[in-house]
Parts: sequence; structure tokens; C-alpha cells
Amino acid sequence: MKTALLIVAQIAMLLLLNQAGYAVVTALHLPVPGNLLGMLLLLALLASGLLPLRSVEAGASLLIRHLAFFFVPITVGLMGFADLFLANGLAILFTLVVSAVVGICVAGLSAQRLAARKEGGAR
Amino acid sequence: MMTVTLFSIGLTVGAYALSRVLARRFPSPLTTPVFFSTTVIILALVTSGVQLAEYEPAKRIMVSLLGPATVGLAVPLYKNRLTLLRHTAPAVLGLAVGSLATLGAAVLLATVFGLPDIIRASMSVKSVTAPIAIELAPIVHGSPALTAAFVIATGMIGAMLGPWLMTRTGIHDPLSRGLALGTISHGQGTAQAVAEGELQGAAAGIAMGLAAVFTSFVAPFLAPFLG
Repeated sequence: MKTALLIVAQIAMLLLLNQAGYAVVTALHLPVPGNLLGMLLLLALLASGLLPLRSVEAGASLLIRHLAFFFVPITVGLMGFADLFLANGLAILFTLVVSAVVGICVAGLSAQRLAARKEGGAR
Repeated sequence: MMTVTLFSIGLTVGAYALSRVLARRFPSPLTTPVFFSTTVIILALVTSGVQLAEYEPAKRIMVSLLGPATVGLAVPLYKNRLTLLRHTAPAVLGLAVGSLATLGAAVLLATVFGLPDIIRASMSVKSVTAPIAIELAPIVHGSPALTAAFVIATGMIGAMLGPWLMTRTGIHDPLSRGLALGTISHGQGTAQAVAEGELQGAAAGIAMGLAAVFTSFVAPFLAPFLG
């Protein structure tokens, strides 16, 4: 019971930070998502020590564990795009696979090259 | 109206709960919660004659906790901060050029294939973790539903092909492997990287969070070319 209350309170805190993120985005007309700003705000609070990790950890872990649940009602919206998928399925799949392959190779190789150079320089 | 909403919520929660059980019993891409639940729900809605618009109020109620969940992603980012501080240059460079490369390749190929603008725009942010990608979709003139589907497909593709691909291309450095998986395949890539090792997992977690930040700040500049 006590744990449940704690988790509810922590989720309320995350909700508040989320609202703060959206409020800032609206007030400053920023072209970035409000939830992203909320995330950065929490990161700043944790990093500065203003907010201890244990004051949000249980609630955050619970929500992250079930993150996939929230995507389900959103992907149900694909119902409205059946024709688009049927007409372009193969091109979509090819584009998704090739761009993922390119991204993984570029990210991995560039990081590895820089990491190796840094180690070489330190020796 | 009320009944349809209650039915929709019950259906969605039920399908998700069932998918969790099935995924544990029979792990396969077909039993992953999003793919399985979405398929079941769409079939149920179609057979019971419920329109997408009637499902909308239920959706709005259910996604109300997605924002706080996204804010919660700061927790794993904070926990992995030491890995980031120790490897700042390769990590930041890798995730930035990786994000740009996959975005560029997707937009280029979509243009070459003559895919509709809404698909091209929705695809551009597909390597960003879903809760943030869904919010970015309207900013780049895409559809949140399409973006969510592309994000999840990209997660699966990278998690399945990534480790094999990197071994083939000579990417053996653990930090770089985790970084690439997290940058391109966000949550699903991070889960795969955690299975490879601790440093891989930490690097992937950082890459997933920071790639989302990076792409969020780049995307608005791309919007005029995508719509």
C-alpha cells in the first residue's frame, strides 16, 4: 500500500515536470516537444542534486517498463493508412532496412575510429 | 459513446496484458507487445464495426501517462552519466553523425521511390525513441501513427540485424556497438545492447536519450523540406 502511494506520488511528480516542459515550449514558442524538455528538466534536477534519484526512480521504472503499452493505441491509428501501406509496402520496408543499416554502420564506425584515436594519443 | 470508450480501453489493456504473457512464453517478433496488441485490436475493431474516430477518446485517456513516462527516461540517462563523461567525444560524434546518416538515407530513399510526402516526413524521425518521435511527427508534417509504426519497425530491424552487421563490418569496440544500437534502434536496440554487456548497454541508453535530443533540435530545420 505504501509502495503504491509512493509510486503514485512519483508519477504525479513526473506529470508535473511534463506539464512544465510543455508550458515552457508554449511560452517560448520552441519547436521542440514539451516532453523532451520535461526530460531535460528532470535530468538537470538530478544532476544538480536538487532532486535525489530515489524520489522519482520507482515511478519512472514502472512507466518505462510498460512504455510499449502507450504506443499500442497510437499504432491502432494505422487503420486509417491501410491503402498507403498496401500500395507502398515494399518500398517502405526497403527504405527502413537500408537506412537502419547505414545509420548503424556510420554511428559505429565513426565512434570506433574516434575512440581508437583517443586511446592511441594517450599512450 | 461511453460504452465504446470503455470497450476500447478494456480491449487495449486486455490485448496488451495477453501480449506480455505470450511474449514471455513464445518470444518472437510476432508476439512483441506492440505488434501483437495492435493487430488484435484492429481486427477486433473492424469486426465489431467500431470506427477509428470512435476509438479516439479511449486513446486520449490511455496515452495521458506517456508524457510522464518520457520524462522518466531521464532516470536511465542520469544513471549512465559516468559512461558518457568518460567517452564524451566518440559518443557524441557517433550518435550525431549516425542520426544524420539514417535520417538522410531514409529521406533520400523515400524520395527516390516517390513515396507520399506524409510517409517520407513520418519516416524522417524513425530512429528517435517512440514517445518523442510521436511528438516530433507533427513538427515535421508527419503522422504520429505512421511514425510510431516506423519507429517500432526500425527498433526490430536494428535489434535483429545490428549485432551481425557490426561484426561483419569490423565494429568490435563495445562502446561503439552499444552506441550504434541505441542511436538507430532506441529502446529495442538498447535491450539488445544490454544483452551484449554492461558498457554496451550503458552506451546504448545514453545514445537513445541524446539522439532523441539531437534529432529534436535538428528536425524543425528539416520540416520545410519534408511537408
